Amino acid sequence: MLAYLINLGVLVGINAVLAVTLNFVMGYAGIYSIAHAVFFGVGAYTAAFVALHLSASLFVTLPLAMLLAAAVSVALALPALRVRGEYFVAASLGLQVIAVTVFSEWKSVTGGIGGVTGIPPAELFGRAVAAPAHFLVLTLACLGAVIAATTLLLRSAFGRSLQALRDSESAAQAAGKNVAAIKTLAVAVSASLAAVAGVLYAHYIAFVNVESFTLDTSVLLMAMVIIGGTGTLLGPLVGALLLMLLPSLFSFMSFLPPTEISAVQQIAYGATMVLLMIFRPGGLVGGNARARS
Amino acid sequence: MLLLQLLVNGLQTGALYALTAAGFSLIFGTTRVFHLAHGSAFVIAAYVFYSLAARAGAHWSLALLGAAAAAVLFGVLLDRVVYAPIRRHEGSFFTLFIASLGSAIVVQNVVGIAFGRSVVTVSTPLSRSAEVLPGVFVAPLAGVAIGCALVCFWLLQHFLGTTQRGVALRALAENAQLVRAYGLHPARLSTLAFALGSLLVVPAAALTVATSGANPAMGNHVMLISLAATIVGGVGSLRGAACAGLLLGMAENLALWRLEPQWSEAVTFVVLLGFILVRPTGFFGRAHAH
Repeated sequence: MLAYLINLGVLVGINAVLAVTLNFVMGYAGIYSIAHAVFFGVGAYTAAFVALHLSASLFVTLPLAMLLAAAVSVALALPALRVRGEYFVAASLGLQVIAVTVFSEWKSVTGGIGGVTGIPPAELFGRAVAAPAHFLVLTLACLGAVIAATTLLLRSAFGRSLQALRDSESAAQAAGKNVAAIKTLAVAVSASLAAVAGVLYAHYIAFVNVESFTLDTSVLLMAMVIIGGTGTLLGPLVGALLLMLLPSLFSFMSFLPPTEISAVQQIAYGATMVLLMIFRPGGLVGGNARARS
Repeated sequence: MLLLQLLVNGLQTGALYALTAAGFSLIFGTTRVFHLAHGSAFVIAAYVFYSLAARAGAHWSLALLGAAAAAVLFGVLLDRVVYAPIRRHEGSFFTLFIASLGSAIVVQNVVGIAFGRSVVTVSTPLSRSAEVLPGVFVAPLAGVAIGCALVCFWLLQHFLGTTQRGVALRALAENAQLVRAYGLHPARLSTLAFALGSLLVVPAAALTVATSGANPAMGNHVMLISLAATIVGGVGSLRGAACAGLLLGMAENLALWRLEPQWSEAVTFVVLLGFILVRPTGFFGRAHAH
């Protein structure tokens, strides 16, 4: 039971990192990306590749994964600078589809559909973090760091500019804000912090393949943010916790056939999204405030 | 010969894409709802057609009628029950988009539970390919697909161009407040747009079941193609969506000439990203992307 809880805790932590970083661009910069799983994937594959070929030390894998994810994020920042609203959603969908193809076809790095196996555990100061309990501590530490980093950034001048941009791009520009630089930086920060989750995931599961980084994952992450509450501090955490507990909740219901559990779970969160949008667009934490666009 | 075969396949796929894309474009252009559940209308139509034609053994025309009724009902219900309340509260595009996404997830999984997740097909005498030229195989259904697309577009053009309701729909796309000022009902027109747009997926859904088969996850692909075609063609332009649908169908098949089949979807989206970056208004678009 304890092992089960620790495992759940690690997975909740990893998803919470992703939800918090997605909320950073969605809730505060108004950049509605459905390509967040791409950066999760870039982080995980980078960690896998570096850990197998160079070093499993977190001081090597983390910075490299973050750098690479930030570089890839330019592919998302470019359309974000050109278009808004529906057009950007479409562009990020496009990026997601292309990335999945690359993940499953670039066999020399990603191992194709089969994925990469035998990833060594993360090393910290020369010692392997292999015990699940230790890994849970590591994950929570990373989650704390990510929350701290995003919160600090949002309270800084940069964060204010970001929110000004979300509420009115023209007004922000008129006030002398460099719209292009702020958007590019916001996307890069979100992507590189999402890569942290990827690194943790790769070391923890010791196996990565494309299944974990598909459109479904991006939609699930988006659902976490929406259900929890876009643009709130607690929202993404609540959303990640709820949606990660949902599968275990359904697996306790013995009347459900085991093969249909994942479908029932998806129906539950799909329906929740629809109902929330009708009755409470601000999300569970967001109160009755209308989702700002 | 391979190239010719791919060209024929591309024409057939493209005709079906053009139809679904025109439906999405009609809905998005007039009501501004980013209707991701458009793919769900396709899946529903496909499965109703399958259960009537293959399981219940109904005549194909009856099955087609049933599929059309189901798709239209789905579109109208979604508009009335989900989108209308959100629009009444002046919900942002994003709120509508998430509601639509949620509906699509629900439909995909409900259909998956009800019918299983494997591919279903209805075999008809027209599905069998014949060798028309050495090395080039064409099924009569390819002709049916292209014919269907042409007839539907002619009817749609006629409807939007000459009937009063058609003109009102186009007016709604231009300026909803002015439409209200003229004593028309934007809400009713929006329902009409959803009914028509959902109706347009029916021939494509039935033909897909009869040729390559359909599965519950297919809605995603249909939705992706439709929105890519709508943007590449230019939002608000049915002609653009149709041409872009055809183009994407061709590109997907012609890509097989040089690339492996796994890359075909990526090719579509490279085209889409290219358009968004270079010419966000698409080839016939007037609306501004900003």
